[in-house]
Amino acid sequence: MTSTTTPLARRPRRGHAVRRHLLGWLFLAPAVAFIGVFTIVPFGQSILLSFQSWDGLSADTPFVGLDNYEFVLHYDAFWDSMRNVAVFAAAGFFIGNGVALAMATAVNRITRGRVFFRTVFYLPGVLSVVVVGLIFSSLFNPGSGVLNHALELVGLESLQQNWLGDPSVALPSVAAVFIWFHWGFGFLLFLAGLQDIPRELYEAADLDGAGGWAKFRYITWPQLAPVTAIVSLLTLLAALQIFGTVQVLTNGGPGDHTMVPTLLIYGEAFTNFRYGTAAAMSVIFGGTLVILSLIQLAISARRSRA
Amino acid sequence: MRTTKKAEKDMVMSAEEAGPGGRVARVPGDVSPREEPPRRPRVRADRVGLYGLLGLAAIFSVFPLLWMLSGSLQSLDELLGGENFIPSEPQWGNYVTAWVDGELGTYLLNSILYTGTAVLGILTVSSLAGYALARLEFWGKGVFTVVILAVMIIPAPAMFLSQYKLLIEFGLTNSRLGYVLILITSGIPMATLIMRSFFVSQPKALEEAAAIDGASRLRIFVSVILPLARPGLAAVAVIQGFAAWNEYLMALVIFHDNSLMPIQRGLTSFVSAETPQQQILLAATVISIVPVVVFYLLAQRHIVKGVGAGAIK
Repeated sequence: MTSTTTPLARRPRRGHAVRRHLLGWLFLAPAVAFIGVFTIVPFGQSILLSFQSWDGLSADTPFVGLDNYEFVLHYDAFWDSMRNVAVFAAAGFFIGNGVALAMATAVNRITRGRVFFRTVFYLPGVLSVVVVGLIFSSLFNPGSGVLNHALELVGLESLQQNWLGDPSVALPSVAAVFIWFHWGFGFLLFLAGLQDIPRELYEAADLDGAGGWAKFRYITWPQLAPVTAIVSLLTLLAALQIFGTVQVLTNGGPGDHTMVPTLLIYGEAFTNFRYGTAAAMSVIFGGTLVILSLIQLAISARRSRA
Repeated sequence: MRTTKKAEKDMVMSAEEAGPGGRVARVPGDVSPREEPPRRPRVRADRVGLYGLLGLAAIFSVFPLLWMLSGSLQSLDELLGGENFIPSEPQWGNYVTAWVDGELGTYLLNSILYTGTAVLGILTVSSLAGYALARLEFWGKGVFTVVILAVMIIPAPAMFLSQYKLLIEFGLTNSRLGYVLILITSGIPMATLIMRSFFVSQPKALEEAAAIDGASRLRIFVSVILPLARPGLAAVAVIQGFAAWNEYLMALVIFHDNSLMPIQRGLTSFVSAETPQQQILLAATVISIVPVVVFYLLAQRHIVKGVGAGAIK
């Protein structure tokens, strides 16, 4: 059997190769099944549904061409909702991440209480969107809420607001809740990033007589770039997909002043029973998110190569 | 453990540098020992400022939670009056009312069930897939990796409608099984990538020894690889456990029966169906966060590590 000719020696190896490929796919089989059935099929169906009309009940889903997309293009609430999440994204991006970076730098410099502050800062991050919504709808309550009472106590009644009911105040209020909820996450990642920066870099800078700002500008900031990229992307995605918190806080109101795309899609489907237009919105909105992710990934890939 | 120690050491170092660094900038070249005494107070002032800032941020983070706790122990009149932060007479009865009226026992049990099964499912599926991607060579591996990355990018808002439609076709709406299947699916991509990078970082020696002993691949996986992978599995379990416990959108879409709802969905159902008084609702909210907060405080070191791992991959 142990022939010296090459073809015979190869045959068992080819059988081995087939088994090796099979083995790989055997290990992957459950993941493939789940992702295939519950992610890829629905993703395809979303696109299909966006060209159809469906009321959520009937077995019949007639094609309507581009009608759904045409409706969405002229649907003010949808574009308002896109603008609102852009506001949340900007707030989370600049204020939330700014606070996160400042606090990570501060915690990185102290000796005592590091674990305490880290635990406290991330605490809001373990709560659910529903819980956050419920807490702040009580807190913002114009009659019994602590915010208006506190302003009264310090004699600033003039600053009292109907925080979630006044069209001009509701959006900033919800943005503030988003920042409160989300900044601890960026903080954790920034802190981990800061701790990974080699100490030697700072020692060398000390020898050169660099000041605190110079060290931040020329060591900390460039060294943190990969973490900053990830935090930025995740903040953007979280802000754009915000849903439960808004549903509990304002349900998109007053009017559509705090409406967000996911909530609008939900309402269009499950309240108005227009699944086709809802699907068209989710395709446009989901497509935007995917493109944003790809741009961000491309930028950070190029930066890490440079 | 090792990384934390190192991090703590680094931190001590950088804190010590903060003082001299600033001094060097202000008095370049002057390193005479006479500079020593005036440095102390400035460092202390820096410290006070630093801790002051951190303290403010800590109050910002915790105040809403403390206020919720306080409100949940007040009577409705006291709460509406808004005079007291410390309840004059703690109304423990609010918690009993919330528990009974809100059917919180049912919702919490459901959440425990869904979270537990989903995490087990995710661990099984993603450790198998992660191992294949890290260690096995086979055709189509690159394609599958790309698909996983692509799937991770597709956001829930782009899919939840059709996932619901699909569940209708399977007869799995308003069903425990349908919900758990969706939870598992949404956890798989990130969990698989974490497990993959974990297996890549593991030494190959042990499994090679087992292979020489003639054990099959699956046997090696179950009896050699998995026990060694406990830290990776723990990180995945923590992230996915929180994700499953806090999931809301699909729970909202899938369930109509209160007896099947997880806690997040149950809370909003309580609000809309019963319109409870505010202090009762606050008590219900406190009860709903007890499991996550206790777990977080007990295991916060692992959680912090897990969150980092989840974000980087």
